[in-house]
Amino acid sequence: MIELAATILLCVGGFFYFAGTLGLLRFPDVYSRLHSLAKADNLGLGCILLGLAIQEESLAAALKLVLIWPLALTASAAVSYAIARHADALAIKPWRSREQK
Amino acid sequence: MMSSLMITAILRRGTLLLLLWWILTEGSRDGWVMGIFAVSGALWLSLRLVAPEATRFSLTGMGAFLGFFVCNSVRGGVQVALIALQGRRALQPGTLEVQLLLSSAAPRILMAGVLGLMPGTVSVRLDGRMLLLHVIDERMPIAAEVRALETRIARMFGESL
Repeated sequence: MIELAATILLCVGGFFYFAGTLGLLRFPDVYSRLHSLAKADNLGLGCILLGLAIQEESLAAALKLVLIWPLALTASAAVSYAIARHADALAIKPWRSREQK
Repeated sequence: MMSSLMITAILRRGTLLLLLWWILTEGSRDGWVMGIFAVSGALWLSLRLVAPEATRFSLTGMGAFLGFFVCNSVRGGVQVALIALQGRRALQPGTLEVQLLLSSAAPRILMAGVLGLMPGTVSVRLDGRMLLLHVIDERMPIAAEVRALETRIARMFGESL
């Protein structure tokens, strides 16, 4: 039962990493790529950590895995702001779709 | 004579650090001497760097914020994954300027960071109360969601908007 739940969580996590990378390759400018990377990877990591944590036998080891999530989230939020801030300082204009122009 | 503020800070932070040590060593008892040194050192450093002060920080507010955060970061991840699968024709990006109502710096910085993980938004520039956002789809009700997040952060920090 736990085995199955863990497998599902790991696959779902892998899917979100895939979607995040797809967005990184497909999206047209730095700002939209940040959306894809920060949000999808954050969810992918959360699923993978949860999938690994429920397989652990000791509570402390499971918590140690789960603790990685807030650390990575903090880093991802700060880095994504830093990149967007710098792009803005370089006066990079956000991409607009054809219908919007 | 230690103030009661100092005593509560030592107890609270000490407990958290002990818990952290327990997690990091995966519950093993072998390194407890090292652990005492590490925990006392970290406690001393934390008291020096962030002096204990009376705050209106609310733990129930934090619980509510965390629940909101987890739900919405899942929603944000799913949404952007779906857009990525459809490619750039699903994008309708734009920018949005928001005037924050939060009065102190720490909650504003938290707000700018958290918005990068919420559905449809990335923070571009935080300048005093002004927060410039990049939104992935202009048709989403972003302004209302930003306010909802702001209300929860304000409650956690004990601010009234």
